[in-house]
Amino acid sequence: MSGNGNNELLKVEHVTKLFGGLAAVNDVSFTVNSGEIKGLIGPNGAGKTTLFDLITGIQRPTSGKVYFKGIDVVGMRPDEITSLGMVRTFQTIKIFEGMSVIENVMVGRHSRTRTGLFSSGFLLPRSRKEELETFEHSMRILEMLGLETRAFDAGTNLPYGQQRLLELARALACEPEMLLLDEPAAGLNPYETQELTQLLERIKSDGVTLLVVEHNMGLVMNISDEVIVLDYGEIIARGAPEEVQNDPKVIEAYLGSGIGNAKG
Amino acid sequence: MKQSVEKSKVKAKRCENKYKNFAIASVLILIVPLWARFIPGNLIHMDIVNVMALAGIYSCAVIGLNLLIGYAGQISLGHAAFFGIGAYSVAILSTRYPGFPAWLGIIIGAIISCAISWIVGKPVLKLKGHYLAMATLGLGEIGFIFFREATGITKGTVGIIAIPPLSIFGIVIDSDFKIFYVVWITVLLLMLFSMNLIKSRFGRALRALHSSEIAAEAAGVNTSKYKTVVFVMSAVFTAVGGGLFAVFQRYVNPESFHFSVSILFITMVVVGGLGNLWGAVIGSIIITFLPSIISALPYWFPFMPESLTNFGNYTLVLYGILLIVFMIFMPKGIAYALEISYSSALRGMKRIRDRISAMRYTKRK
Amino acid sequence: MVLIIVTLALKKSTGLQWILSGLTVGSIYALMAMGFSVIFSSTRVINFAQGEFSMLGGMLMYTFSNRAGIPALYSFILSVLIVTLIGAGFERLVIHPLKKPSVITIILITIGLSIFFRAAAKWIWGTDTLAIAPFSGDKPFKLLGATLVPQSLWIFGFTLLTVVLMFIFFNRTILGKGMRAAAENPEAATLVGVSPPATSLVAWTIAAALGASAGIIIAPIKFVSFDVGVMLGLKGFASAILGGLGYAPGAVVGGLSLGVLETIVAGVFPSGYKDAVAFLVLVIVLLLRPQGILGRQEKLE
Ligand SMILES: Nc1ncnc2c1ncn2[C@@H]1O[C@H](COP(=O)(O)OP(=O)(O)OP(=O)(O)O)[C@@H](O)[C@H]1O
Ligand SMILES: [Mg+2]
Repeated sequence: MSGNGNNELLKVEHVTKLFGGLAAVNDVSFTVNSGEIKGLIGPNGAGKTTLFDLITGIQRPTSGKVYFKGIDVVGMRPDEITSLGMVRTFQTIKIFEGMSVIENVMVGRHSRTRTGLFSSGFLLPRSRKEELETFEHSMRILEMLGLETRAFDAGTNLPYGQQRLLELARALACEPEMLLLDEPAAGLNPYETQELTQLLERIKSDGVTLLVVEHNMGLVMNISDEVIVLDYGEIIARGAPEEVQNDPKVIEAYLGSGIGNAKG
Repeated sequence: MKQSVEKSKVKAKRCENKYKNFAIASVLILIVPLWARFIPGNLIHMDIVNVMALAGIYSCAVIGLNLLIGYAGQISLGHAAFFGIGAYSVAILSTRYPGFPAWLGIIIGAIISCAISWIVGKPVLKLKGHYLAMATLGLGEIGFIFFREATGITKGTVGIIAIPPLSIFGIVIDSDFKIFYVVWITVLLLMLFSMNLIKSRFGRALRALHSSEIAAEAAGVNTSKYKTVVFVMSAVFTAVGGGLFAVFQRYVNPESFHFSVSILFITMVVVGGLGNLWGAVIGSIIITFLPSIISALPYWFPFMPESLTNFGNYTLVLYGILLIVFMIFMPKGIAYALEISYSSALRGMKRIRDRISAMRYTKRK
Repeated sequence: MVLIIVTLALKKSTGLQWILSGLTVGSIYALMAMGFSVIFSSTRVINFAQGEFSMLGGMLMYTFSNRAGIPALYSFILSVLIVTLIGAGFERLVIHPLKKPSVITIILITIGLSIFFRAAAKWIWGTDTLAIAPFSGDKPFKLLGATLVPQSLWIFGFTLLTVVLMFIFFNRTILGKGMRAAAENPEAATLVGVSPPATSLVAWTIAAALGASAGIIIAPIKFVSFDVGVMLGLKGFASAILGGLGYAPGAVVGGLSLGVLETIVAGVFPSGYKDAVAFLVLVIVLLLRPQGILGRQEKLE
């Protein structure tokens, strides 16, 4: 039904979300192919975050379908979708309070580990082994992002830029096939943004497919294979970065809102 | 391979430390009856072993409740009902069927609690915050009304008397001294289990959903399942405490399972320290000793004016004030304060060690 | 509703009797429910000490009118005033200074307050059940075949008056309208000049006054003792939930229906189970009304 093109990883079909009378997302359809980076842009309030919520099961679409790897994920719980290999980050950082950096990442391993109540409570050898593996895997991810020296600090004590990285680390710990990043560069300085760009390239080269919401036009245009533009919940343009940048409708939307391009 | 050995050493070290502290605490608790019996009763006007045993019984419930409230961030104002289920299971079975082993009664109570908390927990834990508090309160009160009104089963307000003592491996647990050890060994086992749990995948999932359910779900945690499981676990711990309560008091009536007892448990959690495992034990001990200390005060200070020696009245006023004061000024509880003052040096060292090993590990890469 | 009709049909006078008695206690629950709703709608706080406001009201009334011999009207005003000051003072001293308290913190603090009041009352007034004289005699009269005490009329009248006053406050005064707006949208309310701290203080003041008067007017019928606050509070809350935790109308409907339901159940089943009704209603409504009551607390962004 949906998995025709064999490298079609995510398929969104006529997805709509109504809040009362307001259509936050209106009849949106697109696909993301395996291995690509797709940019999702649009002025503030365009519905980008809502669209992420709909795709990852945090909210249920009013109508429409979402397929991941050919599986209909509408109505699935967010954790089930995560286990399938589609993992997201949040625009407003959600670092787990009261947990160290490494523990935050270890939570990300949840769907890839199995230790249950009794084997951990009685400290069975199986659980110890898995715990060690979880620790090592998480440590490797922290190294990749350059956070390993902060591993035992409280996650919420990290500076803002590193908290964004920690969110990314947690998502990576799930071994995602597809990552949905909601404004990963928000609040980063130019240097950090530069590093993030490289990091995303690297994640892509590791075979992870990316859907990235971003207000930083430099970043999006730089890394995306294709860009989708959302305005008032509807797709108003899509295509290669250069095409979209010069699309009069897009310019109009950004000028109209008067905010988005200031950040770009 | 070598790196993993290195890291496992780091981990093992941290674990060792945890178990060392556990061992020290266990020894401190378990020797209480040995010295307490040499203190003449008429000197302090309280029976330390007896009160400690009761504190241990409450600890079972409070450890469970702390997992639920302190770690998973889900409140319950109805746990006295599970305490009651545990106690009544033992009381009813062992008085109706003479010779029925009380320990089996405790296990059956735990199983009944497990079943009820599972059925109730699943829907109720969809509620959050105040709604969850009120729903659990309502359920707890329904339990209380059942204990009070189902006179055919529970004998109502009269209560069930003459509960036979617990006997384990042929030893009849008929003195405070013996029951102290039964209770506290149970508490220490529950502690050990909880300690392992908290540092594991399970415990991380709980702490994560406490902080943000949405983020926890996005990280792959089935929050509704984990909330239910920890609720059930706390209910089972509480029921075990209730079962021990029945064989300790040898008498039960509904008053011991009233809403105010749920609040008593919560006061213990808060005073000890939300989200601090040893806090549960410390809180239980302090709050259980409070009434005894207060009623012993007139003997300690015989020259006090009459109006001030009638301390029985103060106890509840104090609970109320303690709850408010702790929530405002010391939300992390006494255990936390103790922890900083006693082991700040120790923790600092550990932190540095961890950092160094993390750094060393990086360099090797 | 069905139950009411069935019982009415079964035995007309008994049914009416039940309904009138039910409406009497129901009015009290309605006043309590309004107290919960006012604080909750404007500050998202459930005040677990709401029931104790009633208990304190009743106790003070007893002291002033029965002990000090102050005329009922003045005793009433004095008692309500004192409790209101206590409520407002608690908001200022404890609730207000807390910056963004967690739900658990607020629950435990208001529970702490309720324990404190209850224990203090036990200390001051003892454990006896105290009787207060009805406001205007205790000679029952007949109404359509049912017997009614005059105090019931006072209760109906007072509840009606309160509902009208509440309606005027929340629909006609600037402060009240602002508070209603604040409940719906905190940011917008700040724009119209109602600051959340002021809202919180006003809400606590109103709730304490409502609680105290409820406790006083029911006292001649149900007596008063240090522990009446618990049940009154819980039933008020159950009514508030039943009515949807909004402003006056829902609370009144919730309170009256709970009162009637409870009286009928007490008439049909062993009366010890009467109290379970409120809790069953509470739990069932909480579980079956997903809109607004269930749902995620955390909002993205
Ligand atoms: N739970 C909700 N209820 C009602 N309206 C909502 C809700 N969530 C979002 N909206 C509305 O839907 C629209 C889209 O919001 P969304 O957060 O998806 O935008 P966005 O593109 O992510 O914006 P930004 O760039 O500011 O992050 C906005 O108008 C918002 O006010
Ligand atoms: Mg957004």
